[in-house]
Amino acid sequence: MQFGIRDDDKLIVDTLSVFAAEQLRPNLRKAEAARTPSSEVRVRSAELGFEALDVPSASGGAGLGMLTRVLANIALAKADAGAALALDRIGPSVYVLDAFGGAETISQILDPVLRDAEARVVLVVEPEDRKLSAGDRVTGTVTWTPSDHADLIVGLGPTSAWVMRGETSAEPVRSIGLHAAGASTLRFSGTVAAAWSNRAAAELALAKTRLYYASLLVGVLYDSSEFSRKYAMERVAFGQPVAHHQGMAFMIVDMFTAVEQARLLIEDAARRIEAGLDARQHAAAAFVEAVDASRFVGPNGVQILGGHGFMRDFPMEKAMRESRALGLMAGGVERARDDAANLAASEEFGGI
Amino acid sequence: MDVTLSPELKTLIEDTREWGRSEARPAGLEADRAGAPLPVDHPYFQKYMDRGRTRGQRFSNDLEPAPEGRVMQMVVLGEEAAYWDRGMGVAAPGAGFPSGMVNAAGTPEQKERFLGPFSRHTTPHWASFALTEPTGGSDTAAFRTRATRTEKGYVLKGAKCFIGNAARADWILVQATLDPSKGRAAQRAFFVEKETPGLTGMKIEKKMGLRSYESVSFVLDDCEVPIENLLGGERSEESRGTGSGAYATTMGALNATRVAVAASALGVARAAYEEARRFAKEAGSIRSQRVRDKLEFMLRKIRGARLMTLQAAWLADNRTANIVESSMAKIATAEVAQETAALGMEIVGLEAGAGDSIVEKLFRDAKALNIVEGTGQIQRVIMARNLVGLPR
Repeated sequence: MQFGIRDDDKLIVDTLSVFAAEQLRPNLRKAEAARTPSSEVRVRSAELGFEALDVPSASGGAGLGMLTRVLANIALAKADAGAALALDRIGPSVYVLDAFGGAETISQILDPVLRDAEARVVLVVEPEDRKLSAGDRVTGTVTWTPSDHADLIVGLGPTSAWVMRGETSAEPVRSIGLHAAGASTLRFSGTVAAAWSNRAAAELALAKTRLYYASLLVGVLYDSSEFSRKYAMERVAFGQPVAHHQGMAFMIVDMFTAVEQARLLIEDAARRIEAGLDARQHAAAAFVEAVDASRFVGPNGVQILGGHGFMRDFPMEKAMRESRALGLMAGGVERARDDAANLAASEEFGGI
Repeated sequence: MDVTLSPELKTLIEDTREWGRSEARPAGLEADRAGAPLPVDHPYFQKYMDRGRTRGQRFSNDLEPAPEGRVMQMVVLGEEAAYWDRGMGVAAPGAGFPSGMVNAAGTPEQKERFLGPFSRHTTPHWASFALTEPTGGSDTAAFRTRATRTEKGYVLKGAKCFIGNAARADWILVQATLDPSKGRAAQRAFFVEKETPGLTGMKIEKKMGLRSYESVSFVLDDCEVPIENLLGGERSEESRGTGSGAYATTMGALNATRVAVAASALGVARAAYEEARRFAKEAGSIRSQRVRDKLEFMLRKIRGARLMTLQAAWLADNRTANIVESSMAKIATAEVAQETAALGMEIVGLEAGAGDSIVEKLFRDAKALNIVEGTGQIQRVIMARNLVGLPR
């Protein structure tokens, strides 16, 4: 059992943390209003190679593992989860392409798209398989996606996946949050460029996708927990810092614990994936834990700041909205809960 | 979670499991049904001795090396032992909890005199540690039991309660104060040997759960002990400035054992989860999504709490401060044990209500884990001191 951070990961996390603190955090509201990070931030992010961290090296990526991605996402989302999404043009779609097609497929499909610096690949996690083949027509609507456009659609069903090139229309929506990545109702209609059927690949891709969003969510929860903790130590009420009133102190402690528990479960599941172990149940449970924690931590981040928490002058209202938004991703928490419960109930489940 | 275990630790786990299955659990159930700890001459204890299972019998620097780290090893084995019966772990013969304090603060003579025999005993013997008093347990800095210096030694006056194994102990390490007005600086620990005049009023409490070990209340009625029974000896008074350092020693010992209690709570939680899952499978109720959801919740919370506990152990083994992490683990594991046992009873249903399922015993046992060695509230205070500088 290993809890310490690997030297390589530490270097990446430290670099991204500096980038997040210097480039993302000061522009939090600006990126939100513009529905995109600035071009300067995009250039700097591209230099850091954030989006290619866990793209296989045979496809031109850094070829690092799931744990590295999880740590990187947490580091960036502590500053701005919306920007973190916007700066990763591929997002978790890469897990689908990798699981079903491998490195060659990733290069073949993504390279033409990624020539555009502002391209977005949108992953659509669907509850049913579409049973598609290459050349078939595919149409659909995604009511909300944190993007203002889609240059490629990747679909992931329970046992299958497909890639669509073709017409997409993105109708801007107000949305609950993650505005720095955009927000739209996406309508797509086009030809299936590739389609696969493979339950194991689909389940692995979904497990990784859950960890991708869960780690962004935990980053936001860290922000809720840490920002409000520091505020509570400075803000004075009844002659002492509000954090020193025990009702407040215990809440801060419980928020800290909730975030830690989610983080540990996410990192544990990511380690399992890196080790080639079955992590389906662990990843689903980690996602559920992060989402459950968000309902406690996000609103209490606002609560600790009182009226200020409710105002846009402080980032806690944004963190509360975005923690809720991220919990809706990756097929949603109820599906994750079902998967975690059903896998744990199955005969082959290996135990705690 | 994949824990890579060394072959040495795997052997120890298997040994603990075998003992737990064949001896500790049946013994724990026997005590629970009898409503009282097993008597000192119960064959279980001699069997325990015969297997060479004495605790604290070796001085700390002679312990076996543990590739995973000593605290990590303690956590893994502690969980396994508590899985079978948490109470029988506490009831086990040996110098137990106070041995850590004696090793940390005792003089060489005290180590030999009080711990030495435990490495030679072939029949069951116990030692005990007395901190809690009738007027309070969590505020360890506010003992009322008084120690007064006399010509021959110290006279102890006061009362202690809920003390593990005290009625059967060869000696009890008793916390007392030389001067209540001086707070922690005046606290000391004294060896009070069995049959010492004034050590009186032993009462074995009747408990809701964890019935397999003694929780004892007793009175120190002008109980006189020799100077040599002051932990650390009087010579340390001047050199250390704060006397035998009983308060610091006590808190140090409690910090170390917090992770151990967390490990035992994990064992209780896992036992409840596995029994509920087994029952649900046999009864067919596992087909219900609601039952599956409960089992998933139990599993997830146990896994998360275990990761917290292992993290705290890992930090300790790597000589990194873990006060926040160990308190967090203690909170999480104790609450998970209680919640898991409670949900386990819902899954098992009336059979548990009738008292026929081990889940019912675990439900009664688990509650204590959020009380002993720092309640959940005290752990939050400790965390808050570190996270937000909560004043003392």
